[in-house]
Amino acid sequence: MSYLSLQDVSKTFRTATGDVEAVAPLSLHIVQGEIVTFLGPSGCGKTTLMRMVGGLERPTTGQILLDGQPLGGPDRRRGMVFQSYAAFPWLTVAGNIRAGLRYRPGISRSEQADQIARLIDLVGLTGFEDSYTSRISGGMRQRVAIARTLAADPDVLLMDEPFGALDALTREHLQTQLMRINRTEGKTTIFVTHDVEEAILLAHRTLVFSARPARVIEDIDVSTLLPPAARDTETRDQPAFLDLRKRIQTVLRQEHHEGSKADVA
Amino acid sequence: MLSFRTAIPRRQEVTLGVAGLVTFLVVWQLVAVSGWIKPQFLPTPGAVLAAFWRLFTEAGFAGDIAISVGRVWFAFFLAVIIAVPLGLLMSSYRAIGAFFEPFIDFIRYLPVPALVPLLIIWFGVGEASKIAVLWMGTFFQLVLLINEDTKRVPREYIESGLTLGANQWQVMRDIICPAALPNMVDNLRITLGWCWTYLIIAEIVAASSGVGHVIWSLRRFVKTPEVMAGIIAIGIIGLLTDQAFRLLHRRAFVYLDR
Ligand SMILES: Nc1ncnc2c1ncn2[C@@H]1O[C@H](COP(=O)(O)OP(=O)(O)OP(=O)(O)O)[C@@H](O)[C@H]1O
Ligand SMILES: [Mg+2]
Repeated sequence: MSYLSLQDVSKTFRTATGDVEAVAPLSLHIVQGEIVTFLGPSGCGKTTLMRMVGGLERPTTGQILLDGQPLGGPDRRRGMVFQSYAAFPWLTVAGNIRAGLRYRPGISRSEQADQIARLIDLVGLTGFEDSYTSRISGGMRQRVAIARTLAADPDVLLMDEPFGALDALTREHLQTQLMRINRTEGKTTIFVTHDVEEAILLAHRTLVFSARPARVIEDIDVSTLLPPAARDTETRDQPAFLDLRKRIQTVLRQEHHEGSKADVA
Repeated sequence: MLSFRTAIPRRQEVTLGVAGLVTFLVVWQLVAVSGWIKPQFLPTPGAVLAAFWRLFTEAGFAGDIAISVGRVWFAFFLAVIIAVPLGLLMSSYRAIGAFFEPFIDFIRYLPVPALVPLLIIWFGVGEASKIAVLWMGTFFQLVLLINEDTKRVPREYIESGLTLGANQWQVMRDIICPAALPNMVDNLRITLGWCWTYLIIAEIVAASSGVGHVIWSLRRFVKTPEVMAGIIAIGIIGLLTDQAFRLLHRRAFVYLDR
């Protein structure tokens, strides 16, 4: 029942200093509504893989299918949230969300207003509708970016370390909020992170990648170990969570070690 | 008193600005009345002010200013309406950029005064040659500036647009243009200033009206106060235009934290 399929997808960047194989031929199948988190050493190719799914980078080999159809360049079916806050500074919070609705066909004005109100409420920005995004905090800006992406109603949500630049407390708050958003929206999601706890908390499934070129070295069914519906902030203290965290950290440490050895060689 | 890179109260800022101007005028006055320099080389501020008044009341200077301003704005408008879309297309499509860049770069380095004789041969001594000089002086600079401004729009904004479902034209219209607009307006303000330089050159070489023509013909009679008054008039027009642009910038881009 694969919804998003990557078939032997690889990426080699041709640069002035030689070829860089960022992603080795890799196949991956994600079912509809599944939230998959990507973990892996820095520079292993997670962003590249996600950008290929988003159509922002063309695979060197292989193809990517959504609902059985081959995907090409970027479009509304795959929404992207970037680590650098990409909320448009020349628009207000509401204006940014309207920008997400703008290219959806057949949305009436009143529907637009309803959607904007619903999304502002969903990401907890009520009262900031008319603030310019240059005047709000980084965490709020990232919530604007998430709401804007949801406004476009993509089939697949791609998030590349969206909370990477936030302080620990804000990040925890946004993780909790995102868990709730995920439950209400039910979008197929790929979420890249460096934070093992975040990767477990948000995931139905976690993929751990090797050092560059990226290969999947662990494919963990987190849903079975920690039912998503029962997760909250306290989940972090559960034995199942702690076990899983330890297991992933061990794999990552091992991989980091391998990566450094490869760098020296 | 001098605190490094710190804002000062608005009143203090204005007071200091006025004090600077007054100091300049006082020094000028002292030098002029001291007798070191002959009045026909350096008249007093008062004499220049009187000449300023005479220019407007007796010589119809307002009409010349109107003509000059009209020339500047018309040529500038012609430069902007072509340069903005072209600069945007050059940064959006590498092929278009590659086609135009070397050519525009070459022309940009040609000194505008050197083009004046050629433009007069082509366009005669009428309005067309003046507009052509101004246009040549600003258009090529402006294309490259707009090209740079639109190039600098963060990639994330553009990719956000594409993944929200905007097509290439919509990305240009709804994302690249508003994102680059504050810098574009700044660059328009700066190039409009250059326009004045080229205008005076054009009006000195071949014109029977306009600020440059007036200054140049007064020179023949060594009417130094009038010549200085004319120069000061240009300065004032420049200052007012610049302030108008800055005001527009502040009003239109309130979201920029400055
Ligand atoms: N446009 C590009 N041109 C050349 N090389 C690139 C390009 N983009 C990425 N790379 C290289 O591909 C490799 C994988 O990069 P990628 O950004 O996908 O890693 P990542 O897993 O997202 O890393 P991080 O965790 O630090 O974000 C890196 O070695 C990087 O230098
Ligand atoms: Mg990355």
